[in-house]
Amino acid sequence: MANLISINLLAIFRDKVFHGILAIAVIFLLIPSISSLSMRQVTELSITLSLSLLSVILLLLSVSLGATSLWKDIERRYTYSVLSLPMERSAYLIGKFIAIALFLLLTALVLGAVTCLVVWLSSGIYPPERPILWSALILCVIFSALKYIVLIAYSFLFSTVSTSFFLPVFGTISVFMAGNATQQVYDYVHSPAAKALSPLLKHAASFFYYLLPNFSAFDLQINAIYAIPLSLKGVALPFIYFCIYTPLLIVVAAIIFARREMK
Amino acid sequence: MMPKAREQKYYITFLMLAACYSLVVIALADYMRNKPFLERLGYIPSVNTLKVFAADHKQLLSASLMLKVQIYFGGLIEKAENKLQVPADYPAMSRTIDAALKLDPYNMDGYYFAQAILAWDVGKPDLANTFLEYGMKYRTWDWQLPFFAGFNYAYFLKDYGKAAREYQRAAELSGNEMFINLAGRYMQRSGKTEMAITYLGMMAKSARQLSMKRTLLTRQTAFLQVLKIEKARDTFFQHYAKLPTSLDDLVHAGYLPVLPRDPYGGTFFIKNDGSIDSTSGFAFAAVKK
Amino acid sequence: MNVIEFTEITKVFRGKKGFIVNALKSMSLQVAKGEVFGFLGPNGAGKSTAIKILLGLIRSTAGSARIMGVDVNECSARLSVGYLPENPSFYDFLTGEEYLRFVGRSFGMDPSLLNSAGDRILRRLDLWEARKRPIRGYSKGMVQRLGLAQTLIHDPAVYILDEPMSGLDPIGRALVKEIIRELKELGKTVFFSTHITADVEAVCDRVGVINKGTLLTVDTVASILQRGVEGYVVQRFLPDGTTDRQLVPKSDLHTFIEQSIASRWSIERIEPKRKDIEAFFLDIVAVEQRHETQG
Ligand SMILES: Nc1ncnc2c1ncn2[C@@H]1O[C@H](COP(=O)(O)OP(=O)(O)O)[C@@H](O)[C@H]1O
Ligand SMILES: [Mg+2]
Repeated sequence: MANLISINLLAIFRDKVFHGILAIAVIFLLIPSISSLSMRQVTELSITLSLSLLSVILLLLSVSLGATSLWKDIERRYTYSVLSLPMERSAYLIGKFIAIALFLLLTALVLGAVTCLVVWLSSGIYPPERPILWSALILCVIFSALKYIVLIAYSFLFSTVSTSFFLPVFGTISVFMAGNATQQVYDYVHSPAAKALSPLLKHAASFFYYLLPNFSAFDLQINAIYAIPLSLKGVALPFIYFCIYTPLLIVVAAIIFARREMK
Repeated sequence: MMPKAREQKYYITFLMLAACYSLVVIALADYMRNKPFLERLGYIPSVNTLKVFAADHKQLLSASLMLKVQIYFGGLIEKAENKLQVPADYPAMSRTIDAALKLDPYNMDGYYFAQAILAWDVGKPDLANTFLEYGMKYRTWDWQLPFFAGFNYAYFLKDYGKAAREYQRAAELSGNEMFINLAGRYMQRSGKTEMAITYLGMMAKSARQLSMKRTLLTRQTAFLQVLKIEKARDTFFQHYAKLPTSLDDLVHAGYLPVLPRDPYGGTFFIKNDGSIDSTSGFAFAAVKK
Repeated sequence: MNVIEFTEITKVFRGKKGFIVNALKSMSLQVAKGEVFGFLGPNGAGKSTAIKILLGLIRSTAGSARIMGVDVNECSARLSVGYLPENPSFYDFLTGEEYLRFVGRSFGMDPSLLNSAGDRILRRLDLWEARKRPIRGYSKGMVQRLGLAQTLIHDPAVYILDEPMSGLDPIGRALVKEIIRELKELGKTVFFSTHITADVEAVCDRVGVINKGTLLTVDTVASILQRGVEGYVVQRFLPDGTTDRQLVPKSDLHTFIEQSIASRWSIERIEPKRKDIEAFFLDIVAVEQRHETQG
């Protein structure tokens, strides 16, 4: 397993796409100067911009790595040479997943450190009215990474059923959008304003709410930006949710992948 | 390819995880429903759509909307100072601020701007107060929102009871007794202009954007001139026991050395009830109300 | 015990629009330990399909297959196998040396052993100079040789090679044949597929001929050579010095020699004239096709 993880990490580090995406991180340098445009909340704006940039980079990474990794191995016929080695298909899949997840976590931590630096610099320009809640900022970065790891698990699930990369790429993007919207849709459908909707639609909304990932639960940006203390429940519940939801997706992906023919 | 036994192991793992999942997801859903700062529904549809597409970039989108408003407003002020008459689209600005605040109800730029523009330039202090009260639900620590709201109640809406309540709140949040005193002074008519000057000074001091600062200072200058005229008027009243009919009376009687100039380009005049106003209405652009 | 064993293996590919391909039709085949087995057939015969079933890459529709007695659905069946895929492709971001190391570690090889074996094999397959270059930059022949190297690295007992000679120049082909002969001397089992008859003749103990998913015949190379004898070239001379060469059918050899001796000919040389394996192979395929058109 360690062998597989290290090989897949090497694959990411030697990938050109990865270099291109990391180049986007240069935008972090511009954040302090953009933030000073704000009238009243320089520090808040710098946190907002940094977290959003971080989120965009992680999204690009999870789509480009997660959705294409397996597809690339099949397309370039690496699977013949690798899967004929004495390893379980599930080991191959999980090793690949862990490598990408680790890499994403690593990127998040590095860029999180850059975020802290940027925020610290901005707060030096114009002191914030409320002290920065560093713990919320750091947790926000980590939870952002967790959210995208769930997304990668989805991209793996799509890759195991599809032979082209359309489903993995666009399926992953759709899950990302849906995962961010489920909470709002659910709230709306169950609010008095939506009384007129048919019960069938409401049940469908509830069904998808419980099936699709709830990315709103991982969104701690409000807490990080406006220094609002986090509740234990607000951190623990999403984390446990992550610890169950991700393996669930990977197990399904492993079952499907084990049945797949390497034609 | 998997032999049967191993395949079974996977199915069992799957079932166990699925059982755990159903427990956790219910707890999570419950928590999310009761989350304190969860935004409730009933917004205009366009904001809703925005929210869906903003995904987890709501704060960013909100900030960028505010930036757009600021840039628009900055350009407006520049043209006005160059004596260009450009009708400002205040409804659009108010709509954008509204969207920005719905996306990110914590965005202080939005409230600050709503107060500075809606209350003064658009002449809709009640709308500004609706925004401010919405914001107070989120920015529960912020003394500035009740301070603005209190000012609007006292100065524009003449609802001194509500003003006193807001100032009380501002005082509690900031730990500054000054706001209580301010509330008291609004009760007197003569104090009104002085309070506006203090208020504008405070806002200008904390303004970061140059165009905003200039706007506030211009308005403060106008009110300083008004205060000068009011003082002269009061002295005139003491001596003659009647109000001057025009400002020229005050100059001729020697209570004003020269007639003060309105920085907005209008002319000051005295109303029948003795209050001082200007033909400019204390704004550059023609206001579409 | 048979090292490789197919028992009534059937494979049906189902296409999108309902079309089906019977790639293997109830094929049974055994390869014994220490044998070099040639799997001979034209393109599309089903050779690669059979090999992919052995490696667990695809699942047979019916029947079973075993390597060293272990069902091919178990991943441990592959522990003693070195496999060279058809037109192989390896992680091209790695260098040749790194790839060999990856394969060695997958087989749980001891690191020091892996290093020494790696160096030796890279030199043996003429990849030493290129070992530190990414595979991305390798020529087709180099990739093929690396493919052979990664089957040798963990010194397995069984070698399954899908068209090992394809994509190689004559020097490369000679090298592969030499390596197969060496493996044979070491007592290893080699199962390789090819569509070129000369390859089989040069190195195999036994040959299986397959066409359209059906195994037509399995026999030793020696027996096939024997079966293919059509007649004899007899060279003879008279005392006055006249020489003569004649082609004599197999059945007439005895009478021909008797007659010659009676007419005072001296027999100088008798050579068997046989169909080469190519002709033999073509015959078998042709017979099969004739059956088909008739049936
Ligand atoms: N993935 C596939 N889908 C459908 N048919 C296939 C597939 N792979 C191979 N075949 C068919 O199976 C037959 C045998 O193919 P293959 O084993 O690759 O032949 P060989 O290796 O002997 O050249 C061919 O007719 C081929 O068209
Ligand atoms: Mg083939």
